[in-house]
Amino acid sequence: MKSDTSLGDYVEIHLTQKIYEGTLLQTPDSEKGIVLLKLDTGYNIGFNKKDILEIKLIKKSKQKEETLEIKKDEEKPNIAMIMTGGTIASRYDSKTGGASALNTPEKLFNTYPELFKKINISKVEIPFVKDSGEMDSKDWQILAKTAEKLLNNSEIKGIIITHGTDSLHYTAAALSFFLKDLNKPVVLTYSQRSIDRASSDATLNLQCAVIAAISDIAEVMLVGHATTNDDFCYAIPGTKVRKMHSSKRNAFKAINAKPFAKIFPDRIEIISKHKIRKKIKTKLDNKFQEKIALIKYYPGQNPDILEYYAKKKYKGIILEVLGLGQIAANDSRNNWIPKLKEIQNKGIIICTTAQTIHGRLDPLVYSTGRALLNTGIIYLKDMLSETAFVKLGWVLAKTKDKKEIKKLMLTNFAGELNNRLEN
Amino acid sequence: MEMDYKKIGLKCGLEIHQQLDTKKLFCNCQSILRKDEPDFRIKRKLHAVVGESGKIDKAAKYQSTLNKSFIYEGYDSTCLIELDEEPPHEINQESLKIALQISILLNAKIIPITQIMRKTVIDGSNTSGFQRTVMIAYDGYIETKEGKVRIDIICLEEDSARKINEDENKTIYRLDRLGIPLIEIATAPDIKTPEQAKETALKIGEILRSCKVKRGIGTIRQDVNVSIKGSNRVEIKGFQNPTIMLKTIDNEIKRQQEIIKSKKNNSEVRKVLSDSTTEFLRPMPGEARMYPETDLPLLKISRDFINQAKKDLPKLKSEIEKDLKQKGLSQELIKMIFKQNKLEEFKSLINFTKNLNLIGKMILVFPKDIAKREKISIEKINEILNIDIFEFILKSLNKEKISENQIKHVLEKIAKGETPEKAIGFEKKDLRDIEEKIMKIIKEKQGLSEKAYMGLVMKEFKGQIDGKTAMEIIKKHVG
Repeated sequence: MKSDTSLGDYVEIHLTQKIYEGTLLQTPDSEKGIVLLKLDTGYNIGFNKKDILEIKLIKKSKQKEETLEIKKDEEKPNIAMIMTGGTIASRYDSKTGGASALNTPEKLFNTYPELFKKINISKVEIPFVKDSGEMDSKDWQILAKTAEKLLNNSEIKGIIITHGTDSLHYTAAALSFFLKDLNKPVVLTYSQRSIDRASSDATLNLQCAVIAAISDIAEVMLVGHATTNDDFCYAIPGTKVRKMHSSKRNAFKAINAKPFAKIFPDRIEIISKHKIRKKIKTKLDNKFQEKIALIKYYPGQNPDILEYYAKKKYKGIILEVLGLGQIAANDSRNNWIPKLKEIQNKGIIICTTAQTIHGRLDPLVYSTGRALLNTGIIYLKDMLSETAFVKLGWVLAKTKDKKEIKKLMLTNFAGELNNRLEN
Repeated sequence: MEMDYKKIGLKCGLEIHQQLDTKKLFCNCQSILRKDEPDFRIKRKLHAVVGESGKIDKAAKYQSTLNKSFIYEGYDSTCLIELDEEPPHEINQESLKIALQISILLNAKIIPITQIMRKTVIDGSNTSGFQRTVMIAYDGYIETKEGKVRIDIICLEEDSARKINEDENKTIYRLDRLGIPLIEIATAPDIKTPEQAKETALKIGEILRSCKVKRGIGTIRQDVNVSIKGSNRVEIKGFQNPTIMLKTIDNEIKRQQEIIKSKKNNSEVRKVLSDSTTEFLRPMPGEARMYPETDLPLLKISRDFINQAKKDLPKLKSEIEKDLKQKGLSQELIKMIFKQNKLEEFKSLINFTKNLNLIGKMILVFPKDIAKREKISIEKINEILNIDIFEFILKSLNKEKISENQIKHVLEKIAKGETPEKAIGFEKKDLRDIEEKIMKIIKEKQGLSEKAYMGLVMKEFKGQIDGKTAMEIIKKHVG
């Protein structure tokens, strides 16, 4: 198959028996042996490359740049946007069949005109474009730095960060710790349904994110669908949020806490206590110790696994434990107590969180819990595992002193601990 | 006055949508419409989506100006895919096979590599904002008395949600119909007379009904595209049966002739009314905006799968009729099999008995009689007296646990709520009762012939005992 054609061109595809006409499309990466063609009916069909005699150009595609002027309205507040990738920031490009990033205010305006009703988007920053599954602590650090700069710009009233959903709650926790003395709202939002569909959840999420960003809630928060309905969102504390469903619109839930607010496209109803916007300078506090791990304990697990982490020079481990705080101890075939003592003696910090996700750990109820506690491990009460993981990396970058580490881990910096759980 | 269709330049094309009788196309839900109160309602909004060209589709824009809320009614049988809360599952293989069989029967060419598309629909009838559709075959044809009618395109797609109610601010849809597999067949504008339109519809209809498709009102929707020389194409939607096409096309020709005179010549979609006239529905949609269903891989239809579909190709109704007649089934029961759409059930029961007329009576006649006698709806009866029950009955018959004459009585008991096992068990106990009663009859009317007693007994216990058993009992007690 030889051809001087490119994606988006109108072409003839010659097979031995028949000639097809249509627009040449990009083939998914996993289907490189196939040529995709959009027929005049709108349907796409495919051909095996080896069956094609010739692809003949009929008409070159015209590259048309969208030129759209967005007028800045002095009356409206200015919002900055940080876009990182994910479903919410990519659009299907039917000309080529590929995906294209929404990376300018113009493209944003084209896709989400509702967004601009109440505000100006005065700045769009794109520090990187990644699916959230690809991100790590380096990205959280970059994001915090980008946000800090925007937060200290007096012309900007608040920040919206668009983000993929899969690891969004890790980023939310990281920003909660990395931005010290937060002066303005930092709003993370997402979409679970791609934005090319009329049913996309992005529209409501962004409308409500705008309301949150101009509100007085000076917190890192996640704003997204509260229910399956398109009527309101919750603003959930960044340290108390978790993705609880793989596909639903209202995948993110407040765990062991209440949302800050219920947000409609045109109003906000405050639900719980939060910090208030104030004229101070936000500081960056984004150092991070990467040598940490998050382990889920399972019945019968051999504690030898801990040796691997010791050998690899890990500094700290979050151990997700059963029930109120249980793992196999004295009476079990795999007694964890000796090994836990051993590796803590080597200087590795061990913290525990609850596999139940909901509820608080309490090691004092059962004797094994007390025995585990006596080995020196730190019970993180009602802190989410993901939040605990991020916090441990953040704390270990500050100090090596075990006593100090314990104190910091159990100090409530950003709402990550809640000493009063409600039903 | 007869119209000269050639002179008028009549061009018609048919578009037929037929529901297939399988589970839903992209989820594992049953394709059952519900009449009971919904279990929950959800509220959604749709937003006009900017197309690839930067323009909003004309027809889509027409709807989105309404800025409505959409309420969707769901049941315990509704799943997350129907709520647009989970990505679609792989396309239903049974419906794909049926679509291939229909394509083969329509002499069409199957596309081995094709892509499931999202067709933008913004009237709220799909929770997703689009309808999933995939082109399966093209370039088919059927023969009619007035010549070949080409089939341009055959697609497999998901049905939309049912509209329940509508006001200025909101539309209420029910999710039970959403996702039922539909085959869409579009002919070329080769049809030149209303009679040919009707014949085409009937021919395609026969082919569809030979395959595993749903039957009854609402399961097939037929649209006719009509244009005459000098006018724009008009799509007339909602033909429930082909006979009404004749008059409706004639009426549409007259309407278009008037319009050509008035020079207000619009391409539009109209709805057929019961008096064969039509009313305006909406402007003709622009070219449907279609883009790939990115949640699913390319659909590859293997040679093996096509061969399997060919191997299992259903016979046309006319061939099946001939076959059943040859096997000795009465003409009346043959008719009823097709009318009640019970061919599949019938065929599976042939494995249990050679007495086809018995199967026929059991699945076609008895349920109706019982429904009438017991004043239970036939739908309810059909639900209770399902294929498993019939199998059980025939197996019991083969094991001589019951006799042929008792079948109706046993079915009646089951319909009234008894378990099949109990219904049969009771027969034995009943027999003892009957025997006692027969003894009583003989005692009361002494000196009659066996035949005379037989008459009395059968009159008294009709349907509860067969003649052979009755005679045995009579013989035992006479003389």
